[in-house]
Amino acid sequence: MFSVVVTGVGMVTALGLSREATWGALNSGKTGIRPLTLFDPTGYRSQLAAQVDTSALQLATIGEKARRHACRASLMALAAAEEALKQAGFDSVFGAPWPVIFGGGAAGLWEAEGFFAHRLTRGPQARGLTQFLEVPQDVVADRVALAWRLTGERTTITTACSSSALAVGVGAERIARGDAEVVLAGGADALCRLTFAGFNSLRAMDTEPAKPFDRRRQGLSLGEGAAVLVLEEENHARRRGATPLARVLGYGVTNDAFHMTQPEPTGSAWARTVRQALEAAQVAAEDVDYINAHGTATEQNDPAECAAYLQVFGERLARIPVSSVKGAIGHCLCAAGGIEAAITVLALYHGLLPPTANFQEPDPACPIDPIPNRARKQPVEVALSSSFAFGGNSAVLALGRA
Amino acid sequence: MVGIGALGVVSAAGMGVASLKQALQQPHFQAPLGLSRPDGPPLPVVTCTGFDTKGILPPLVARRLDRPSRLLAVAAKEALAPWGPELPWPRDEVGVCAGTWNAGTDALVEILKAVFTAGPEEAPPMHFPNSVANAAASQLGILEKLGGPNLTFFEKQASGLRAIVEAARFLRSGRAQAMLACGVDEAQWLNAECFDRLRALRKPHRPGFPLGEGAAVLLLTPNPSPVVIAGTGAAALPTMPHRYPESPEALVAACHKALAQAGLAPAHVDLVVSLANGSPALSQLEEAALRKLLGSHRPAVVGSVVEKLGEGAFSSALRAAVAALVLGGEVKPQWPVPQHLQAHGFPSVAEVGQSPRTALVTAVAAGGACVAAVLAAS
Repeated sequence: MFSVVVTGVGMVTALGLSREATWGALNSGKTGIRPLTLFDPTGYRSQLAAQVDTSALQLATIGEKARRHACRASLMALAAAEEALKQAGFDSVFGAPWPVIFGGGAAGLWEAEGFFAHRLTRGPQARGLTQFLEVPQDVVADRVALAWRLTGERTTITTACSSSALAVGVGAERIARGDAEVVLAGGADALCRLTFAGFNSLRAMDTEPAKPFDRRRQGLSLGEGAAVLVLEEENHARRRGATPLARVLGYGVTNDAFHMTQPEPTGSAWARTVRQALEAAQVAAEDVDYINAHGTATEQNDPAECAAYLQVFGERLARIPVSSVKGAIGHCLCAAGGIEAAITVLALYHGLLPPTANFQEPDPACPIDPIPNRARKQPVEVALSSSFAFGGNSAVLALGRA
Repeated sequence: MVGIGALGVVSAAGMGVASLKQALQQPHFQAPLGLSRPDGPPLPVVTCTGFDTKGILPPLVARRLDRPSRLLAVAAKEALAPWGPELPWPRDEVGVCAGTWNAGTDALVEILKAVFTAGPEEAPPMHFPNSVANAAASQLGILEKLGGPNLTFFEKQASGLRAIVEAARFLRSGRAQAMLACGVDEAQWLNAECFDRLRALRKPHRPGFPLGEGAAVLLLTPNPSPVVIAGTGAAALPTMPHRYPESPEALVAACHKALAQAGLAPAHVDLVVSLANGSPALSQLEEAALRKLLGSHRPAVVGSVVEKLGEGAFSSALRAAVAALVLGGEVKPQWPVPQHLQAHGFPSVAEVGQSPRTALVTAVAAGGACVAAVLAAS
């Protein structure tokens, strides 16, 4: 098995259009959850979202062909990939045989919704063609591969909120097993009426910015964004003088086989995923010193997640910092796992733990140290990044200091 | 070793593997085309008109599943049937890898119709869980209590074969003891209309493909089986997301990788399951790729699976199922070799005396992703 390191991270979130902008705002306790302007939110329970201003994205090196008719999700992914490749120090990547492994989300659904609205209300005479070209979930990976002419295998995993965490895990496993030297992994997801209406119908959205692990929490805030991680075989990275930011030690992937939208409440199914990640990483539970939680701020998720950690870490859980970034960047759905993996990489690299924004009142059902509102300086050797999704699809990444 | 332990199929040929075998033996088999729209003429889509869950799924269970989930659940029941209710593996060690091109579309349309015509508060909550593309695989996990890895792959029409490739990887890495590798799609009018607007669907006045629906499931295990997945490979040629690649090099590279993993040379391929769907661009691509890969070697070809049963993610998994049936000696397909391969001397299975021992199955997605698998009789 080969050792896998992360040599580049690119990120676009509502907190900022770059890695550093996001990281800086996140650690000062800011939130990117604001009134939604992408479409008229009248009639929805919440009018808030962590929305990205895609019109301000800088795509310095992306050719016109790769951008033509690109949806917002694709544009965010292109920006994140550009930033990640730059940090990894790759001068010339055109034609490289690298796999692109992304988590798929709503892709160009927001752009297509305009056509669907006309079609469903005006009948078959409604005009429309280019608006729905980017509906397939794999177009985001297609766009990134096209921009850098990458010829490696292209994979889009769609497991709802764990999609891009799995992309990172699966991508790392490709390298660990010797199938690739470099992989671009991550994902992007964009806000649209479908997800807003869906979570609205489930009564799962808070009317205020989400408050993960807080006793007052009333649901999630939706977000959008992208993250791309350059995963690399360690010797390959060192030979070319790249700086490893963190290691991908392993991952766990299970299904709780319980319910499409509700987590298994005792946490035992998620505990199995955590244990699988530790086993794959060959680290003990005692070695874990930070958890980047799924922490959606819904009534069911947060206690079930804490129950899972309690089963794995016992009373030591109270001393392990556990934070959720969803109060700051919203729940970015299929991009969430990738973005949170990227943030965990930065936490390991900088020895700085991102806070849980909007936290005020502890919940006895969530007996954790949530790092309230301000980042904490603390060196970390091993961290977990957890993603639990619709349909019971769970993924936990185990990451280590480089 | 990755063995194909069992198959399950729901297609326009009927429910079950037996219906598929029967259709393969009819030279002139053609599933009827026609998917109705609420406000327009029917579209050229092959549908599973005889599909019924009666006697297979409990009515209360079937009612809460959307169509892709029902199609997949029924096909999976057939694949799991040989083992009876007590599977020989712990259910937490059994996983699902599914590929889809359009699962969730009908739920999505129902939600958006409510939003645009009645307002956001009228969006029906029961449809939202089914609007995610992984719903069918997840519902299968819930239904069969399968706690292993459960992933859905989305690479347009190559998704089904991609799911098989990834399921084989999960077995090889020891993350599961058995995997249900599947492809599943539903026939949905708005989805089909979008393809029609792109002028991709076959019409009397233009070439193109018929869309399809169905589910194909391969139960993969590390146990010895009459047919195994001997090698897999993938590569891509970056292309605009809605176009096929213009050059065959990525498809050839994917085939070479699969053959190398199987320890075989191109001359060892006995059978090719054609990916042609009626689109001239894809036929040209396949012809060029096979000529480049095989040189003067001419293995037998099973043709027209997509043209007869419809294009989709499910059909790339279905082609692997057809290959497994032929290698296992269970059927000798009578379907004609597509014209673009016939013109270059590729014979049909019926024209070749020997039973094939190795088969090459490929898939190409618009956008340029190519996947290949080599199946072998053991």
